[in-house]
Amino acid sequence: MMKLADTTGRSKAVECRSVWKFFGENGLAAVEAAKKGTHDKDQILKDFGCVVAVADASFEVSEGETFCIMGLSGSGKSTLIRHFNRLIEPSAGEVIVRGEDVCKLPSADLRALRSKHMGMVFQHVALLPYRTVLQNVSLPLEIQQLSKSQRTDTCQSALEKVGLKNWADRYPSELSGGMQQRVGIARALAANPEILLMDEPFSALDPLIRKQLQIEFKQLSTQLNKTSIFITHDLEEAIRIGDRIAIMKEGRIVQIGTPEEIVLRPADEYVADFVEGISRLHLVKAHSIMSKRDAVGGDATGLPTADVDDDLQTLIDLALKFGAERIAIKDEDSVVGVVTRENLLKAVRGIDVD
Amino acid sequence: MLEVTDAFDLVVNDGLMWINDNATTLFDSLRAVLDGLFNVIDGLLAATPYWAFILLVLVVGWVAVGRIFAVAAAAGLWLCQAMGLWSETMSTLTLVLSSTFIALLIAIPGGIIVGLAAGFSKASDVVLDFIQTMPAYIYLLPGIALLGYGPATAMCATTIVAIPPAMRLTAHGIRMTPTQFRELGAAVGLTPLQVLFKIRIPFAFPSILAGVNQSLMLGFGMVVIAGIVGSGGLGQTVYDAVRTLQIDKSINAGIAIVVLSIVLDRFSQRLGTLGSGGARG
Repeated sequence: MMKLADTTGRSKAVECRSVWKFFGENGLAAVEAAKKGTHDKDQILKDFGCVVAVADASFEVSEGETFCIMGLSGSGKSTLIRHFNRLIEPSAGEVIVRGEDVCKLPSADLRALRSKHMGMVFQHVALLPYRTVLQNVSLPLEIQQLSKSQRTDTCQSALEKVGLKNWADRYPSELSGGMQQRVGIARALAANPEILLMDEPFSALDPLIRKQLQIEFKQLSTQLNKTSIFITHDLEEAIRIGDRIAIMKEGRIVQIGTPEEIVLRPADEYVADFVEGISRLHLVKAHSIMSKRDAVGGDATGLPTADVDDDLQTLIDLALKFGAERIAIKDEDSVVGVVTRENLLKAVRGIDVD
Repeated sequence: MLEVTDAFDLVVNDGLMWINDNATTLFDSLRAVLDGLFNVIDGLLAATPYWAFILLVLVVGWVAVGRIFAVAAAAGLWLCQAMGLWSETMSTLTLVLSSTFIALLIAIPGGIIVGLAAGFSKASDVVLDFIQTMPAYIYLLPGIALLGYGPATAMCATTIVAIPPAMRLTAHGIRMTPTQFRELGAAVGLTPLQVLFKIRIPFAFPSILAGVNQSLMLGFGMVVIAGIVGSGGLGQTVYDAVRTLQIDKSINAGIAIVVLSIVLDRFSQRLGTLGSGGARG
């Protein structure tokens, strides 16, 4: 019994349909063969001399959702994210942003899309070294018809959101790596785009700064209701930030689901290997591990109670605090299930409770 | 074989005569423009008293380059004055600056175009190689035929020689924009022209300024050689002295040439580092 990601009622912001990307000469012929399924990745390389970077990627991202694409180097994630603002064009398939196919957009509309509706943050930040922090943040605004003071005000407020208001007149070389990336985020936010493309933004930073920025980004993105597509090779980062995660392997999407789904129900060996070391304490919720009320004997009154959405850590703490063998799980005001000590142990161990 | 060489020579000579006959007005106006430019700048420098110039070099050199340089430069220039070669030094300076200026007007935009379009670069490489490997004084002969003796010929030849370094280094600088910044330009929604002016040219700046320095130096060398064609300035002094076997005069002119060359070099190098001073990092 697992709650699926609640995407009902939210509109689609970004979508890709059967996107394929080949690098090489015989792109079209290779596309045909790949679609028919007659060739696999190595065979395509041999017969057509093409490298398959992305194979049949299809997914939707809802408005306000943070969608993480996770994979190792060479899995195609960086190639895939560049399709959304058409830095790379697909060999086959469609990429739909805000209801329109980006590949069919004329140049001027594409530029408008890129400057007003999409912001991108790069792994190596890419701040122009000869411009001050403020001037860097104003780059996306320079295309739009704004007065200088409007631009300055907008940039100042963007810098304030990332906590760097006092550094506006410094040069990038005077900032630390983490601060530079905050400027990168401010720059992506400056034109107030609805969609953010984050290409492994924190991978080049050291672990403590990374964690801090992940939390800050999550807060900011939720507060501003941004739709984000976030690339990472760190599963923990994906779990910390993502509403849903897509796991990529060698160009293919292997599984898409909530962090909970990925960790508790890995689709195959590959994903299972990844999630092995992940701590389940915050991911597993009461509703996933509780036994039906009737199946467990005894009276439900007098038991300590917890909510359906409480996580494993909360339940364990509760059990320890009251020395209880069982905990009643409530949804609103009615008891819907019971979590026994055995349920808790199985949950920690990663054994399915059904 | 001899016939081929003869035929080639005939073609070159005929061609030159044809140009001379038919394009007289073109070359006359070119000569007038170059002479005019020369006279303006030379007049300006001649009107400046020598001590004012030396003082300016001392002050700017002190602030911009370094104390030892400033003192040495001032001393060297004073020596030029003491040797009675001040006006020749100024003439040489005029020739170098004006020719290099014209060369840069062609080389920098040309270099930008070549840097952007890979297709052009092969063709331009051939032309630039040709210009750079031809012995420089060969440019002077057609110059004499078309523009006569005097500063105009010197300026024309110097301009041709000064184009390749700046053009090559400009193209190189444009090509060397790191990929992530080109991606940035596109991702932010800039038009290709905006990417050029906001991102690629600023990144190319250090390379462009290095090109300016190189062009100045090569131009200077050419200006001295152009003494053969009566260009005025130290080049002519050296040539005259060598022709009349006056060793002392030739050494004096040589010293003045060295002084001016070092001053020009240091100042233009300093300009180069100033230009990339904002790009800290």
